[in-house]
Amino acid sequence: MKRNTLTLLTGGVVLLIFVAMLFGYQVRKTESAVVTTFGKYSSTRSEPGLYFRLPWPIQSVHRFDNRTRNFAKKYEQTTTRDGRILMIEVYLGWRVTDPRIFLERFGGDLDRAESNLEILLRAAQNSVVGQHPLSDFISTNADELKFDDIETEMLAAIKPRAAANSGIEVVLLGIKQIGLPESITTKVFERMKAEREQLVKQFQGEGAAEAIRIRSEADYERDKILAEAERRATVIKGQADAASAAALKTFEQDPELAVFLLKLNALEQSLKERATLILDTKTPPFDLLKGQPELPAKTR
Amino acid sequence: MEATIHRKGLINWWLLGALGAATVAVARYAHSAAGLVGAVFLGLGFLVAAVSYLQMRLEERERLEQMEFDELKKRAGSASLFAEQAVDTFPARRAREQFGRFFVPVFAMVLLLAEGVAVYLLWQHLSNDLPAPPERGTVAMALYGLFALLAFQFGKYSAVLARLQAHRLLRPQASYLLLGALLSLVSALVEVAAWAGYPGVDLVVARLLVVVLGLVALESLLRLVFEIYRPRVKGQAALPLYESRLLGLLSQPGGLITTAAQALDYQFGFKVSETWFYRFLEQALARLVLIQLAVVLVSTMFVVIEPGEQGLLERFGRPAAGQAVLDPGLHLKLPWPISRVYRYQTDRIQSFTIGVAHDEHEDDHDTHGSPAPTASERVMIWSKPHHAKEEFNLLVASRTQDATNRLALEQTVPVNLLAVNIPVQYQVSNLRDFAYQHVNGGELLERLAYGEVTRYLVSVDLDDIMAAGRQQAAEDLRARIQARADEFEIGVTILFVGLHEIHPPVKVAPDFERVIGALQERAATNLFARGYAATNVPVAKGQAARKLNEALAYQTRVTAVAEGAAGRFTNQMAAAQASPEVYRLRTYLDTLSRSIGSSRKYVLVPTNVQDVVTLNLEDKLRPDLLDVPVPVPRN
Repeated sequence: MKRNTLTLLTGGVVLLIFVAMLFGYQVRKTESAVVTTFGKYSSTRSEPGLYFRLPWPIQSVHRFDNRTRNFAKKYEQTTTRDGRILMIEVYLGWRVTDPRIFLERFGGDLDRAESNLEILLRAAQNSVVGQHPLSDFISTNADELKFDDIETEMLAAIKPRAAANSGIEVVLLGIKQIGLPESITTKVFERMKAEREQLVKQFQGEGAAEAIRIRSEADYERDKILAEAERRATVIKGQADAASAAALKTFEQDPELAVFLLKLNALEQSLKERATLILDTKTPPFDLLKGQPELPAKTR
Repeated sequence: MEATIHRKGLINWWLLGALGAATVAVARYAHSAAGLVGAVFLGLGFLVAAVSYLQMRLEERERLEQMEFDELKKRAGSASLFAEQAVDTFPARRAREQFGRFFVPVFAMVLLLAEGVAVYLLWQHLSNDLPAPPERGTVAMALYGLFALLAFQFGKYSAVLARLQAHRLLRPQASYLLLGALLSLVSALVEVAAWAGYPGVDLVVARLLVVVLGLVALESLLRLVFEIYRPRVKGQAALPLYESRLLGLLSQPGGLITTAAQALDYQFGFKVSETWFYRFLEQALARLVLIQLAVVLVSTMFVVIEPGEQGLLERFGRPAAGQAVLDPGLHLKLPWPISRVYRYQTDRIQSFTIGVAHDEHEDDHDTHGSPAPTASERVMIWSKPHHAKEEFNLLVASRTQDATNRLALEQTVPVNLLAVNIPVQYQVSNLRDFAYQHVNGGELLERLAYGEVTRYLVSVDLDDIMAAGRQQAAEDLRARIQARADEFEIGVTILFVGLHEIHPPVKVAPDFERVIGALQERAATNLFARGYAATNVPVAKGQAARKLNEALAYQTRVTAVAEGAAGRFTNQMAAAQASPEVYRLRTYLDTLSRSIGSSRKYVLVPTNVQDVVTLNLEDKLRPDLLDVPVPVPRN
């Protein structure tokens, strides 16, 4: 009897768990639930809590996360109002606001809903980007940028379309990145290289100019110093010449002798280097070659 | 009697075939998915019934052969005639054995394959199927009812007969007939539901039946595997390998436990159900299950939040009032499924990098088990990619585009590109916002941050951000990303935004390096020039000093020489006055002898004044060997 009671109790507990699982379901704070009875809509539960249901397959509970989910569209090429080509990637945040309509339109499939949103987003993005020049997207003057306006316009374009009969609300939208297509990127690289080359030449030129300036200043300084030195040396030499001229008065006492001695000095100086002399016997002392001069009678 | 048995088998076989074909026709007529799946079951039953019938015939032939043999044995009155039972003596037995040994396993495998293919094709078919219109449901309902009645009558009758060991081969047929009856009844009910306005039931039931078919296929697979390891007990009749134990529940007396016990006994070859452990388990099972359940439930009442974590406590899906966020430590809660805890690592510093393509597995490789970086990998230079992952180039404004010649620049691309790898670190600061506002807050934060970086770069000049503006830019970006995160209630605090890996794209990085090189070259040229100046000016000063000194020396020399010459002349004058002629001659000859001592001299001694003397005074440009003076030998 006791064993039967225990078995019954165990069975009762297990049955209770199964029954609770079959007849009850919870909705989290982050969820909304749609209950269908044999595929037909029965009710929507948007508040968290414990609810009753008929077991599957009579009733099915379709749960949807009611938090904001986000996705980014593909990085896509488009054109601006001034005909410039731009790559742009936009992200979007959305959430399910009416689970019943969402279930009916998309079968609860989030991927299908995001595919649908991506189509709307592409249309809005191309339309809005086409109304703005490139300077609205890029400028060193931050006041000229119109990112906020562009994002607001895109959001305004997509929001009513997404909300209409799909149970979705687009909560946020933003530009993730902008860029240029590969072909234009190559050209930008070439221009950037040319800019750098210009800077290289500029710096090299500046360096050369500065070097020339410094060298020329140095040359000028050198020449100035040497010229000053030359001037002072010349003055000193002149003074020396003047002082030496005072000694010439001594030679005035016997000018003939002085001239003779100066000639001898000049002769000696001029014959110091290689010289070839052709002399005859009239030149003393070579006159001795003609014969011994006769001694005076007294000597004899 | 025996003829009735295999006639019954034949009738069952044909009936399953006929019911299968009829069900297909009705299912197509009424566009009934459940009916289609039921027809597949009946088709499989038709195959099983055919093999079962063949086996019945073979066993019947064997039984007749044995009877004839026994009869002949009695008539001969001696066993010696049949003492040696040659192989050819029992061809029917041999045929039945060969059938069981080869044909049945092959058929079981074919059946498994057919079940698997059927599951796959039916699931594919049902995923594209739409609920059927209920217009033809009434006819289908009636026909399914008729099929159910027929199949049940024959199936029940066969199931009763199959309880006899000799007629056990009727059991697979009975199982499929009873299954057919059940499926026909379900199909009829599905049509009733469609008629009542619930057409979706058809697809739900059909999918459920496909799942059952999948289970049957799984059981076939397990049966084939277990058959290999099953011990062969002498005298024990083998169950047909193609007979489903799962479907056998329909035709066998007793409940699930009995069938399971029989299956265990059959599989292990001895009475598992009579062991002490089995009996203990049978007695204490209820208590054990109850205790186990209680332990499991009680264990769900304690929750330990680890250091660095926070938990969100929910009661029936609602945040628990007063203790919605649990900090590290031990906490009590109501048992599952009333209260549940969701854990988050809020203290952990999380990070992502802007400007690099994502590779979720790479980070793991970076931190776990990857080899240490080589010397070249530790060096990061602009002209080589820093990451194995793809690096993006972001647009940056160019101040030159704001110059006066804007119209001309419109023809070119007014932007620069910058390779950017910006690490962003953040921490969850408001768990409620982080968990309840966004499905993936981290992903949204990354996109917001990417957008802010883009927005920032398109408004700054390339050279500014590459130079001194970097530190300020990092702080600005951090503040802007934080503002955006707060605006959308992501619940995070941005800790760090690093701009240390911001540099020109790899393709133009060498040109940027050349500019730096040119700057150095300019400085070097400047220094060389300064070196030239530093050398030349002092040298000039030296030269100037030399000139002055030379002049002074000249002055000293000239003055001294003049004074010396004057003094000497005074003395010479005195000598000359003493003997004018001799002094002059002596002075002359002294000077001449000193001066011409080393000169080449030709002295002409003319005897005849008519002679013409010719002298060659040319010098040799290159001296002959004989002209080279011989060195004086050393003593």
